[in-house]
Amino acid sequence: MPVPPPLPPRTPPPGVARPFASLPPPPPLQSRREVHVWYVCPDELNDHSHLDMYMELLSPSERKNALSMNGPRLQKDAMLSRALLRTTLSRYTNSKIDPRSFEFKKNKFGKPEILWRSDDSNMEWPWHFNISHTSSLIACGIAMDAPIGIDVEEKKRKTTKSILSLARRYFTPSEVDSLAKIADSDAQQKEFIKLWTLKEAYVKALGRGFSGAPFNRFSIQLKTNSRIQITKAPKVCNDSDSGDYLSENWRFALTELNSSYYMAVCIEDNSRGSENGSVPLGLKVWKTVPFIEDTLVSGTDAVKLIT
Amino acid sequence: MAMAAARRALLSHLRVPVLARPAAAAGSVPAARLLSSATEEGSKGSFLDKGEVADRIVSVVKNFQKVEPSKVSTVADAHRTADSDLGVLGLCSVTPNAHFQKDLGLDSLDTVEIVMAFEEEFGFEIPDNEAEKIDSIKTAVDFVASHPQAK
Repeated sequence: MPVPPPLPPRTPPPGVARPFASLPPPPPLQSRREVHVWYVCPDELNDHSHLDMYMELLSPSERKNALSMNGPRLQKDAMLSRALLRTTLSRYTNSKIDPRSFEFKKNKFGKPEILWRSDDSNMEWPWHFNISHTSSLIACGIAMDAPIGIDVEEKKRKTTKSILSLARRYFTPSEVDSLAKIADSDAQQKEFIKLWTLKEAYVKALGRGFSGAPFNRFSIQLKTNSRIQITKAPKVCNDSDSGDYLSENWRFALTELNSSYYMAVCIEDNSRGSENGSVPLGLKVWKTVPFIEDTLVSGTDAVKLIT
Repeated sequence: MAMAAARRALLSHLRVPVLARPAAAAGSVPAARLLSSATEEGSKGSFLDKGEVADRIVSVVKNFQKVEPSKVSTVADAHRTADSDLGVLGLCSVTPNAHFQKDLGLDSLDTVEIVMAFEEEFGFEIPDNEAEKIDSIKTAVDFVASHPQAK
């Protein structure tokens, strides 16, 4: 395979076909309460010319990192993750920014963010993103002006430890209690995964790492009418109602995806409106084969909001 | 046990005078114990020997369902193919370098389970801010080996 020519930092070389022009612009993010999710299924992406095209989008360090993974499968996933991120971000600039041009940095806790250079002629777009991997699906969530976290897990994912032992070690007492009340082990396992994805999504949105918001210091409850409530676990566990409510600042959505996954999305919402925390998050979800095909799956059976 | 077999194999290449005594001598000391007292580290207080920690860590990770055993080798296996400078045993000149995400494809839920498995293996709780840094066999070994509470 020929070595790709070195790319100048921001624009593709003249005369080279601009494949990013065929990334159709998505519907705009209407508000801070809207989240768009784009996902790929690595197992279905086996066309070598497509994969080569995606690999070309990566920065040298991303390429090196992807190739440092152990084996072709992990390498492909790592590469697709970056290609998905770059192509998705490019869409939301209406392709004004080439997918190859984006640069990234990490906040002091290691959360990845877009790096906008002050000398950039490009405007700074207000996009926040977060990525989640499972072995069979990679998802990229985008939000406007709001830190976002996303986590996807296989519904039927098995754990080696028992659900309750994991919950006792990592979750709050009230979450352990609610799980312990579920008699059916399959249902209990599914409930654990739902809680796990919601807690992960919150921690990733917060961007301070796992230890920045330890799982056993906040509780998540799935209430009726799709309301998802998050509370700080009380330090003295004698009154479960004495927790501080974090719900005013955080919005969640939990969906079942393709009947196989739970997907949780969390964004920070600091807008002080008259509505309370129960205004649902607007969610749109696409399955994508970048440059080839996009399929809107929200609004179909493929994306079911969990009530 | 693989580690004992490795020690025996290595011993046969070392000239340790005390082994020249007739094996039938009363009060002969088992080779393994002689070997550990011959190491530079000698007595380390309550810290576990890093090589032993590495083998135990590797076993825990191997037992973890999702991981294919072929991805992780034991330190003992590595010792058999290591360089010939075997003067001091107990120092891990060859440590399994597996990174949980890059080499083993483990995600955050896997890692959390593995940390819990390390806690059970070594009998002490690993705080979240430390657990977060454990992303490879090497970092796990370093962490456990530096904690006197580890059993």
